[in-house]
Amino acid sequence: MQKNRELIKIFHGPQHPGITGNMSIELDLLGETIKGAKTHVGYLHRGFEKLVERRTIIQAFTIVCRICVPEPDPNEENFARAIENLAGIEISEKAKYIRTMVLEMARLSSLMLWMGGQSGSIGLGTIGQWSIYDRDLILDLFEELTGGRVYHMYIYPGGVRRELPDGFLGRLSQLLDHLEKRLPLYDNVFFENSTFKKRAIGVGVVNRDEALRNGYVGQVLRGCGIKRDVRRDNPYLVYEKLDFEIPTFDGCDVYARAMVRRQEIRESIKILRQVIEQMPTEGAIMQKIPKHRKFKIPKDDTFVAVESARGEYGFYMAGDGTEQIRRMQVKGPSLIHGFTLLENLLVDEELSNVALIMNSLGICPPEIER
Amino acid sequence: MRDIDIDIKGAISPFSAVAKLFEHPNTICYPAEKKSIPKGYRGFHTNLLETCIGCANCQDICMNDAIDMITITEEKNPKNSSGCIPRIDYGRCCWCSLCTDVCPPSSLKLEEDCIFATDDSNNFLYMPKDR
Repeated sequence: MQKNRELIKIFHGPQHPGITGNMSIELDLLGETIKGAKTHVGYLHRGFEKLVERRTIIQAFTIVCRICVPEPDPNEENFARAIENLAGIEISEKAKYIRTMVLEMARLSSLMLWMGGQSGSIGLGTIGQWSIYDRDLILDLFEELTGGRVYHMYIYPGGVRRELPDGFLGRLSQLLDHLEKRLPLYDNVFFENSTFKKRAIGVGVVNRDEALRNGYVGQVLRGCGIKRDVRRDNPYLVYEKLDFEIPTFDGCDVYARAMVRRQEIRESIKILRQVIEQMPTEGAIMQKIPKHRKFKIPKDDTFVAVESARGEYGFYMAGDGTEQIRRMQVKGPSLIHGFTLLENLLVDEELSNVALIMNSLGICPPEIER
Repeated sequence: MRDIDIDIKGAISPFSAVAKLFEHPNTICYPAEKKSIPKGYRGFHTNLLETCIGCANCQDICMNDAIDMITITEEKNPKNSSGCIPRIDYGRCCWCSLCTDVCPPSSLKLEEDCIFATDDSNNFLYMPKDR
């Protein structure tokens, strides 16, 4: 009873730089030590799944990219592939390569954004400035390709919306050269930094068995030494033709997850180089699809998944023979990581480690309250 | 103490960031210097009145109900049977470009220009420039 009286309750977020989006964590503190944590969401007032049900297929396409701001493209790919599965549309080889390129560029941009957040969470603000600049260079290319920086609305049921601009692959190649030159700098200042190691090693340790049992995905799983990646386990687009590794580390802590991501940046660059080399010069980018109000999907359902920069990311979609989608359900990493995992990991941790642990889990609140 | 001895590289390597102090900054001095906007950027709408047929396909596909069809009296395309042209509410538009995709004569387009400032909120009801 004495201890209970000393507990202080505080809300960490939603207006807190260490929170990765609009959510908050209700913390019970005993001094600096967390004794209980409860995740609260609902600050975004969205409900994407219901918004999609009220619109036609073509109209719904513009909503899905907003489910996760740092990486909208996996949403677009899932949506397009689910519609294609249901409507029986086969996309061209060129469109598959372009989609793979877009998804890998999105992964790189998302990992750069993560690096900014993760380093900022322990006060290494300089790295955030650099990585956000590098992300901006990727967004410049997105702007050129799709016409938008953040919400690309480019991957469309039936293919992609625009042809590659002249010389685009050359500019992408130059950007990859630039990023490769920057990676040793990030290693020196961030990944090999003793400050980061001392803060991250042994913090936020995930139990390996629990990770498998509870269905954790992405870097949380690979940081426990478990080799799981949708691109390899259930290949989509052209991933089975590409040569890349699935990095794993055994630490199960924040540092292991950071090192997995560090290696994933290199693997993404490797994949993009192969895509540039193998990109078909001929072929349609878009299949013929029915017009707006005539585009109907049959009474059937499907589940599709991609490996996003935060882990397995899937869409369940059901049609009922009309031009509207009967049900669309998003299965992302944020719900399980943001509630089951985060609430348990924070117990008995220091208050200063909340942002550090949260950033390492890849939680995107809009995706929780989709 | 033992940890510090082992991780001596980790303690020294971050200082390589100091070299960045002598590099040219990556930021630009806006508004004196402006970032170039690539061709095909989804900025403001333009509508070539001599080809617009007033079909309202753009209004139909807009998922945000951001497009109203407005009756005009000025000179327009003789094939514009409805006598209306689209007006965009930039308080609702999400620049998805579906309206330009479905425009049969391709009169409605998005141009690269994307900077707009006003002190009157009614100005967000934007009549696309005729070009």
